[in-house]
Amino acid sequence: MIYFFDGSEEGFLSAFPVAFRDEAATVTSRNAQMTLGQTCTFVPTDHVRAERARQRLLSFDGKCMSDLNFLLRSGDAAAENAAFRYFRLLARKKSPVRRMLADGDVIAATECIRRVTYEVHRMHGFLRFMESASGALYAPVSPDHDIVDLLVPHFRARLSKIPFVIHDVGRKKAAVCDGTHTFCVPLEKADVVLSADEAGWQALWKQYYADVDIPERRRIRQMRGYLPVRYWKFLPEKQGD
Amino acid sequence: MITAEKLKILTEGAKYDVSCASSGSARKNVPGGIGNGSAAGCCHSFTPDGRCVSLLKILLSNDCLYACKYCPNRCDRDVPRATATPDEICELTVNLYKRNYIEGLFLSSAVFVSPDHTMEQLLLTVKKLRTEYKFHGYVHVKGIPRADLALAREAASYADRMSYNIELPSEHSLKLLAPQKSRESLLVPIRTLAADKVRFRAERHPGLFLPAGQTTQLIVGASPEADGRILRLSQALYRKTGLKRVYYSAYVPVIRDPLLPDTGTAQLREHRLYQADWLLRYYGFSAEELLPEDGNLSESLDPKCDWALRNIALFPVEVNRAPLELLLRVPGIGARSAYKITEARRFTSLTFSDLKKMRVVLKRARHFITCGGKFYGERRLHAVRGLLAAGERAANCEQLSLFSGETALSALTGEL
Repeated sequence: MIYFFDGSEEGFLSAFPVAFRDEAATVTSRNAQMTLGQTCTFVPTDHVRAERARQRLLSFDGKCMSDLNFLLRSGDAAAENAAFRYFRLLARKKSPVRRMLADGDVIAATECIRRVTYEVHRMHGFLRFMESASGALYAPVSPDHDIVDLLVPHFRARLSKIPFVIHDVGRKKAAVCDGTHTFCVPLEKADVVLSADEAGWQALWKQYYADVDIPERRRIRQMRGYLPVRYWKFLPEKQGD
Repeated sequence: MITAEKLKILTEGAKYDVSCASSGSARKNVPGGIGNGSAAGCCHSFTPDGRCVSLLKILLSNDCLYACKYCPNRCDRDVPRATATPDEICELTVNLYKRNYIEGLFLSSAVFVSPDHTMEQLLLTVKKLRTEYKFHGYVHVKGIPRADLALAREAASYADRMSYNIELPSEHSLKLLAPQKSRESLLVPIRTLAADKVRFRAERHPGLFLPAGQTTQLIVGASPEADGRILRLSQALYRKTGLKRVYYSAYVPVIRDPLLPDTGTAQLREHRLYQADWLLRYYGFSAEELLPEDGNLSESLDPKCDWALRNIALFPVEVNRAPLELLLRVPGIGARSAYKITEARRFTSLTFSDLKKMRVVLKRARHFITCGGKFYGERRLHAVRGLLAAGERAANCEQLSLFSGETALSALTGEL
């Protein structure tokens, strides 16, 4: 049977005990293709049941909720079911399973988690701020996974008092840090008035990028491997390529 | 704001230095300051030559007194010269950093006025950056040979990493190609700073002293030294001075000189040296095991495969029992795969298909391992050698066409 939930952590933990004993269960919050004779059901979020499941799972593995957090942020369609199978294994073994690196379910889940954390790392590098007239920084991004709020601590430590906004253009949400507080808000479109120097610094950067290259050594494939084309959209140095 | 022309000149002069890493320092930010170090390092962009842009790599000046034969900034060359002020560099660094274009500053310089004056200006820049501009991101400063050691020591208390480029692997080549530098003028500061760092730690001083240590760079192919010689030098530097990294730079003929080779060194040689360097630092190999002093690394096989074929009596190893040190010596098994294997085998006996599922690369490894006593590789040694070399060849060559790349150009111009 296919068990649908609302995509939240509470929703997943409500669906988990319901689907647990079903060997052929698929747990998802997205579109799913039904096989012949398969049925489906929607599991509404039940806070009491979710809390009970959470406590039970935490008693097996104290760090498992962080795994779940990463898995549910994944933009990969199969991530939620991978999470279900990973937690089912955890519940059966009744002890941490993340080091069982030859088990198919653990491999699938750790791969999903790795892709999310890897994108966080990549975004630490590939995100580009622009300075607004007020001095606040604005960065548009469109990551594969839902990670904008995970990016905030890194930049907050670096920028200390400078307020900044990281805007996930695809998911229409933004993580905001005003210098003291951080929060997430829905944000459709942002109109940013750029500071007077912004264009000048961007031009210097583009020139630096062009100059530091050694044209005798062309390795375009390697560059694309490290810096996939889907991230180019918001990089000033890659505009006009 | 620094002018575009000046930035161009100073970037062009710095770009052949290969050191780019921003790892090793976890310097903290202070309230009201900007920037911090990220211990794992971070790449911000990649240029079409496949190299990462992590630090703003720039010269303070390209107006050089010296006449190192291989250098595009040597004094007797007619190239545009420029010198930036410390404030221009600081402002540029902070503004690019704020926009998350860079992870920090890599500051080098040609020797202008005198070695002491140059080092003074470098020190002034990094000091300003830390105190006036309150910048706490990564800073890598080049040391100037023959400058007063006190200046280098003070710079070290502000920088995250310092480096003196040894450039050429022997005193003889150095005399020939870089007559104003001597081996001692490069090695003495490296040793002094290494000793200072040890003392700084032992005496538990507050603050930081070169948290990311020192590195150096060797040009490969501008002088006749063999790979064996180069790797022994690297090994000695790692062991004796605690150097973090030696960078190898395949020689690019930017200028013509009768003492220099006319063609560049194959990228493959640089690649093989890096492979061997990693074996020295992370895989427990020694240079003596890898090759004789006057020998070169094999072109057709990577250094680990080459070593394994020469020591085939040690193989195959059983993945379910072999200790970590031995797993790391299997061709194709890296640190990550070795970790996965040692973790996974606590829970289950590993089979060949388990390894496949765990994405352990088996193309090379299968000739050197058994899984539960079963061997899946090729038993004849010469066939193994052929298979390993064939895999390498496929990756390194392409089908020539009349109109591809350099061939097309030479067809047009008639020049060979």
